[in-house]
Amino acid sequence: MSETSYSVLGVFDTPDALMQAIPKVRASKLGTVEAYTPYAIHGIEEALGLRRSPLGGMVLVMGILGAITAFGFQYWISAIDYPIITGGKSAGSWEAFIPIMFEVTVLFATFTAGLGMLFLLNKLPFFGHPVLSSKSIKGITRDRYVVALEAESEAFDSAAAAQVLRAAGAIEVEVLPAPDRSPFLTSDYILRTLGGIFTACVVAGLAMYFATKWFPVLAPMKYIQDQPRLDAQKASSFFKDGHGMQQPVAGTVARGYLPTATGTQEEAASLVNPLPRTPEVFALGKKVFTNRCEVCHGALANGVGSLTAAYGAKPANLQAQQFLDYPDGKIYWAIVNGKNAMPSHAPYLSERERWAVVDYVRALQRAQNAKDEDLKVATR
Amino acid sequence: MKPDAAILSGDIPEALIEPALTVGVVTPGSLDDQVLAFPETRPPKQWYIGLAVTLTALIIGVGCIGYVFVTGIGAWGNTSPVFWAFDIINFVFWVGIGHAGTLISAILFLFRKRWRNAIARFAEAMTIFAVICAVIFPLIHIGRPWLAYWLFPYPNQRALWTNFRSPLLWDVFAVNTYFSVSAMFWYLGLIPDIASMRDRATGKVRKVIYTVLAMGWRGAASHWQHYEKAYLLLAGLATGLVLSVHSVVSFDFATSVVPGWHMTIFPPYFVAGAIFAGFAMVVMVLVVVRETMQLKNLITMRHLDVMNKVILAMSCLMGYSYMMEGFTAWYSMNEYLHHSFMNIISGTYGWAGWVTISCNIFIPQILWFKKARASYFWMILVAVGVTIGMWFERFVIIVVSLHQDYLPSAWRIYKPTMIDFGVLLGTFGIFFTLVLLFARVLPVIATTEVKAILPGAQPSHHGDDHHV
Repeated sequence: MSETSYSVLGVFDTPDALMQAIPKVRASKLGTVEAYTPYAIHGIEEALGLRRSPLGGMVLVMGILGAITAFGFQYWISAIDYPIITGGKSAGSWEAFIPIMFEVTVLFATFTAGLGMLFLLNKLPFFGHPVLSSKSIKGITRDRYVVALEAESEAFDSAAAAQVLRAAGAIEVEVLPAPDRSPFLTSDYILRTLGGIFTACVVAGLAMYFATKWFPVLAPMKYIQDQPRLDAQKASSFFKDGHGMQQPVAGTVARGYLPTATGTQEEAASLVNPLPRTPEVFALGKKVFTNRCEVCHGALANGVGSLTAAYGAKPANLQAQQFLDYPDGKIYWAIVNGKNAMPSHAPYLSERERWAVVDYVRALQRAQNAKDEDLKVATR
Repeated sequence: MKPDAAILSGDIPEALIEPALTVGVVTPGSLDDQVLAFPETRPPKQWYIGLAVTLTALIIGVGCIGYVFVTGIGAWGNTSPVFWAFDIINFVFWVGIGHAGTLISAILFLFRKRWRNAIARFAEAMTIFAVICAVIFPLIHIGRPWLAYWLFPYPNQRALWTNFRSPLLWDVFAVNTYFSVSAMFWYLGLIPDIASMRDRATGKVRKVIYTVLAMGWRGAASHWQHYEKAYLLLAGLATGLVLSVHSVVSFDFATSVVPGWHMTIFPPYFVAGAIFAGFAMVVMVLVVVRETMQLKNLITMRHLDVMNKVILAMSCLMGYSYMMEGFTAWYSMNEYLHHSFMNIISGTYGWAGWVTISCNIFIPQILWFKKARASYFWMILVAVGVTIGMWFERFVIIVVSLHQDYLPSAWRIYKPTMIDFGVLLGTFGIFFTLVLLFARVLPVIATTEVKAILPGAQPSHHGDDHHV
């Protein structure tokens, strides 16, 4: 035989005939023995001397990897990157991660079993195998059982192989030619496939781009914008005056916004500091003073702040006699309403913070004009 | 090794001898000619009529869903305090229907119940279609379905992550895994069958489609070895999965503190209910399939008999669960739980509770009789009853528990709208449209698996008792 052939197929019509033929064909040692059957025949792997499928181990490894991945993912998110306390559990409590760990384990394991079997072990999809274009393939996927002697080298003698198969009881023998060396999956084919996928992606991307550019607010997406609510500063036909934003009803005060320093500074003189003199209050006052006041009035409230030179205006020296004589309420009034170049600090400071600053200013004044009794208090 | 039936036949009572899995003479070739011929012939008139009906339902459903998208979910009857209603009822209902397929394809495979081979394909297909129907509901339930991808934990500019302590997120993972695994299982099973269809196909288009789908499967013994192993592994994995999915769905309820939901019995109770509802749907479809597709010799009365027995067993489990709910309500001495349970049997929705109990517990008891298990009338009656009953069970769990909880000032009666019913109808349309299409384009019976269990299919010296 000068023509090289790929393999010789011997067709049998019962599984029994197939199983009896396999040892005889293997004994001939003419080439690799493979069988093609319409369904899984049990015991055939021992008869053909196939090694055990490594799939179980692969699935186990990937399953464990899935569990570890899911745990790591959830732990990192829930305990490190974005810790939120739910139901009073600590951020790293792992019990709640179990359901997703289980699901991801199954997912990894299943895809390993399915795709590993198809792609890695069976090397599918493969459309260029000679058996697929043989005459016998119709029988193989229907009700025939085929033993194949496949060439291991150039010296394969297909006539002898056919002889062996006939002797083993094959009802038909088919010699398959050497496979066409330009199988389905040539580099050209791969390039065309990749090109096709790339083109499809580009087309889809452009379509999405123009769809969202030209039709940014399609009906369902737009609907959420058309709610019966008022935007700030917008008109409204609901109210008689046509304004969307309404003034509070005359004579009412919003909670937490008691008008404690609305009049003149003289009127405010009678206000009393409601805060107790505790270390917490002084700490708060110091913090607010440092943040808001110190830059102009200076750390000692003596009007020498770091901005004084650059600013031009002259901030009040709160150590001056005039301010030492101020009642608390007048300092409070100045914080709330501002005075001269000083702006109002009411928007930034809560009621409590303002009074805490007043306390702190009082403490600074006393510290700068300390008397002997104060020393006794301090060293006690 | 299986003992020789001929020697022992005198000793074994007739009732214990396993009947043949098929009726009449079935050979691998005749099986292919019978099952794989459907895609090659023109569908009969009934098929078109059926498709017209299901497509109408589908279009109504799609129209209702479109209406919900445009107007918002205010189109539904959901309102405080019943924020979960038809959307979640239907989700749980359809996920449940899917469970029968996985049970048949995976658990019965592990138990070596060879009768499953003839019905596994159809049941698996129904699983996939049911999960497709189920997935629609969380998507439309979130109100802004174009933001559905927020359900997934992915790195984003908002620097937000999902909450992994929420059972709703577990659901996202469970249902997605379930769908992926079912699809994988189904497709792997289809590959050798599609290869058979490829080699039978005459038309060029059909040939190309089946060639690509079969991935060049050539039936090599070395491939079968890995294939069988993969199938076994998938069955084992899917078994754990099918038990977990409805458990996770039940966590949505059980981990909350709503009276009537906060119960440890929920996971097993939900899984049993899912298998129950799924088997009923499979029986219903199989009866139609075996009659209209002339598959009586492959899907035998024995299949239906066994399926009906499973339905009966599940019905008894459901009865136990219902009684356990009542017992828990009484024994806990918790007035809220007690009130919640009394609502099921005597409240405004008491009728729904009794529909549930009648359809799920009382009617299936007829299946104790062998004659009922062999009668289309009774099995269809039970199957339809169970489908209705299981839908109402979810209605009872969700709506009845929610409409009256701890705060009487918040109590309100829930009324569904026509849109609610339209969407439900639509999912039935989607489901049966897919079933009808599947029946015409893919092998409805796993021919490869059935071939392997036909008499004489395995080498005689090897016995066939430990086969697939």
